[in-house]
Amino acid sequence: MIELWQIIVIIIALIFVGILFWFWSFYNRIIRSENRIDNAWAQIDVQLKRRADLIPNLMETVKGYMNHERGTLEAVTKARASIMSAKTPQESMDANNMLTGALKTLFAVAESYPDLKASQNFLSLQDELTHTEEKIAYSRQHFNDSVLVFNNTIETFPGVVFAKRMDKKEKQMLQIPEASREVPKVSF
Amino acid sequence: MLLEDHIRKNKIDTVLICMFMVALLFSVIFAIGYVLDIVFLLDIPLFFIMAIGLMIALCYIMITYSFSVSSVIAAAGARPANPQNRDEKLLIYKVEEMSLAAGLPTPKVYVQDSKDINAFATGRKPDEAIICATTGAIQQLNNEELEGVIGHEMSHIRNHDILVMTVTVGIVGAIALLAEIALRSLFWSGGGRGGKKGGGPILIVVLVVSFVFAILFSRLTYLAISRRREYLADADGAYLTRNPEGLAAALEKIKNDLPDDPKGSKTVAPLYIANPYKRALRNSIWSTHPPLDERIRRLRSM
Repeated sequence: MIELWQIIVIIIALIFVGILFWFWSFYNRIIRSENRIDNAWAQIDVQLKRRADLIPNLMETVKGYMNHERGTLEAVTKARASIMSAKTPQESMDANNMLTGALKTLFAVAESYPDLKASQNFLSLQDELTHTEEKIAYSRQHFNDSVLVFNNTIETFPGVVFAKRMDKKEKQMLQIPEASREVPKVSF
Repeated sequence: MLLEDHIRKNKIDTVLICMFMVALLFSVIFAIGYVLDIVFLLDIPLFFIMAIGLMIALCYIMITYSFSVSSVIAAAGARPANPQNRDEKLLIYKVEEMSLAAGLPTPKVYVQDSKDINAFATGRKPDEAIICATTGAIQQLNNEELEGVIGHEMSHIRNHDILVMTVTVGIVGAIALLAEIALRSLFWSGGGRGGKKGGGPILIVVLVVSFVFAILFSRLTYLAISRRREYLADADGAYLTRNPEGLAAALEKIKNDLPDDPKGSKTVAPLYIANPYKRALRNSIWSTHPPLDERIRRLRSM
């Protein structure tokens, strides 16, 4: 027959195992949320690169139509060049913001060129560039969301106990600079 | 209520309801022990009954789960989206954008040719997901509204709702199956023998009532879970787009455009964003979706 003290020991053992699993899950949660941040960061870069890659094609398409808009076109090419030559993350971010502004102007100016607007190529590129801007915005949003989850995990109990031992610190969210806040929203 | 509160409340509700469902399943299996005793004079140990009953239920659930995706797509008559068509291309773009916001791999995009405004998500795992929208939705919803709808569907995928709902349907089916077999056995046997466990006619009445009750209640519970998950997908979708008004406006359009002749089988209905079935059943405990007005109200209060 099983005795009372044996039952108590079993229950305590089960509770102990339960706590161990719970702790294990927190360790994993911290690791996973940190990895998600790295993934999200890489994703932003993928989209930024995609956008930069679309620029030469865009320049080719508008070339014939917008020859007189020297300033506007040059702004775009210059911005792209500085993206390619950026060495630090800060330089890269500044260059990308420059490109966002330059593209906004280009599309605004393109409004007064009905021939250009009628071109399938241009329309398709415009769709794709708008799409890429949205993707960049959402990638940044996801990055910030991931940072929020991570910060919450390491600042609340019991994550905070693990964080100290694993030497994890709060991470910074991306501050979206004023210029790129108004992404051109083309209504379909 | 804050958005975060909505999300937490819905998750807690789901866990509670699921626990209830599992408890219901266990009680049905337990009761089968009595039936076997009465009908077949088999006095089988409880442990044995539970084990076999659970295995049968699990097999049933796994089988329905494996066939869920292809049957859904076929029932809806959906086809892959065509990038050559600008509207469909923009839909593909929207799905890609939302998947980036959610941190998920991009689901495949399908289109259902229909004048109604509707959309659904399916797939066994988040990495193998499919989102489908009707041509009516693509044409009648503007950018913001379509984004809200896709955000809602993406949230279903992220929250593993397809898994939750299919398993729940499986449990309901398993309960119904076991209970019906039990009921039939009881009726055939005439219930006169009493069996080794004793209890007599009162026990039989109790068993019959319990089985009927279980069938009814499991169905109602399944519908309750379905509604909770819809609210959760609304809230999570609003979080993804940071724009609850988009989905609210889309739901308004759907409200004014409810269809009379929907396609697709009844099991698919819970996955759609709006219940395509009979008006009368729409806003009761028998419907898979919460009332549109209430959903719109909650979204606008965020």
